[in-house]
Amino acid sequence: MQRDRWDSRTAFILAAIGSAAGLGNAWRFPYMAYSNGGGAFLIPYFIALLTAGIPLIVLEFSMGQSTQRGAPGALAKAGRKFEGFGWWAVLSGTIITSYYAGVMAWAWDFLAGSFTLGWADDAGTFFYEEVLEISSGPGVLGGFSTSVLIGLIITWIVIYFILRNGAQSVGKVVMITVPLPIILMGILLIRAVTLPGAVEGLNYFLEPNFSMLTNPSVWIDAYSQVFFTLSLGFGIMIAYASYMPEDSDIINNALITVFANSGISFMAGIAVFGTLGYMAETQGVAISEVATAGVGLAFVVYPNAISLLPGGGFVVGLFGFVFFAMLLSLGIDSAFSIVEAGVAALKDKWGGSKRKVTLFYSLFLFIVGLLFVTKAGLYWLDIVDHYVNTYGLVFAGLSEAIIIGWYYDTTKLRNYFNSVSDYQFGSWWDIMIKFVTPIMLIILLVTELMADIGTPYGGYELKYLVYGGWIGVIGLLIVASYFLSRQRGLDDTDV
Amino acid sequence: MSGSAIVTLILASVVLYGGLFITVRKAVKSRNKDEE
Repeated sequence: MQRDRWDSRTAFILAAIGSAAGLGNAWRFPYMAYSNGGGAFLIPYFIALLTAGIPLIVLEFSMGQSTQRGAPGALAKAGRKFEGFGWWAVLSGTIITSYYAGVMAWAWDFLAGSFTLGWADDAGTFFYEEVLEISSGPGVLGGFSTSVLIGLIITWIVIYFILRNGAQSVGKVVMITVPLPIILMGILLIRAVTLPGAVEGLNYFLEPNFSMLTNPSVWIDAYSQVFFTLSLGFGIMIAYASYMPEDSDIINNALITVFANSGISFMAGIAVFGTLGYMAETQGVAISEVATAGVGLAFVVYPNAISLLPGGGFVVGLFGFVFFAMLLSLGIDSAFSIVEAGVAALKDKWGGSKRKVTLFYSLFLFIVGLLFVTKAGLYWLDIVDHYVNTYGLVFAGLSEAIIIGWYYDTTKLRNYFNSVSDYQFGSWWDIMIKFVTPIMLIILLVTELMADIGTPYGGYELKYLVYGGWIGVIGLLIVASYFLSRQRGLDDTDV
Repeated sequence: MSGSAIVTLILASVVLYGGLFITVRKAVKSRNKDEE
């Protein structure tokens, strides 16, 4: 059967950038830089990009493009016994999409709230009480939050229609969904830096504190930021690259993706800290009192900062709309790219109609994601997110590097990607894949494991961490990866 | 804005957006060469 193909190299690069640049660029990088030495954080960040980010993304592009398979099929080419590690990567992504779509559902609610200024009085109350209708703990599901459920349905309908014609339809959509958030972020950035107090905020974000560089946790944070921001370990980049012809440039495509993704993160940092500087000045508090990351930044602090903008209700609603439209357009291509990685893996294994596989897989993920739109959804999302990111994705990246570095001929793979690329990589790439990347990912895993053993994550009761994390994520990944890799597929019957 | 913040802003912009510019230009040149 003819493999799905991108319309053009531009479509592929934009899709890869769209996948890499997601909500984390806006809500994780700025705080990560601020809390790890400001401008000085860029030194470990760039070193992490050079020693782990770029080598790994080139590895994933090469695996997909050379094998013309998604993650499980690509790893199976290195050895049938490795297929399960590919399924591990795809399943980690599967779990993430199931709740990522829930986060996008919140953004739909806030986008709608921009017309009524529903969040303008107190975004925290709007978010926790009106949108989430949050229960007292993870043990009290309390039924669905209606508005979030509606947002979830909208998100999945959008994802399905974008993906149903595969790379062809994705290639057309990313022409809009990749430039759009950059334009919207540019509007927010210009508004932010022209606000009183913005300079103080930018000083917090950019002033280098070089003494922080002696702290190992800063380096660990830099490697973790680089790993997560490039959508590595999901199998996405492998699946996307598998839709490119085998003789397409790999290194330059990877470099464009990396520079664009980091450029978007940096832009977000300026927009966020400029606004937080204004908020701090308006409220007469220190930046450290308003600086935060993640859900708290996107759905509480930033909307509250917008509601303080001069110009009245229209301006507040307008900039709120711009911000949440930016979040949605940033998030949607990351969300559908993860789904596509799963669809590619399933189709490679068993074949079938693209539309049918996409429909059933999307429906499956929608049903799984219902847990995260219950009134206890935020708690479960927090638990699952911690375990799947910390152990699922990091282990997936680690296994890719070890399998290719130690059980496959890295020189052969390097000769392949050099032969199709304008730029050339030397043997330093082999060293990064064999030694540096695995060592840094092992340090990440061990550090987090020690932290989890020492203190229960998030202060949750142990039983919820066991059900949601150790069994719901780690146990599921082990069992399902093994089970799927043991099934006979199309590639097995070819030989 | 403080001097060190301005230096960081300039250096980071040169590396990130300069790197993006160079790599995109290379891709465009490569495409034009293929089309000839």
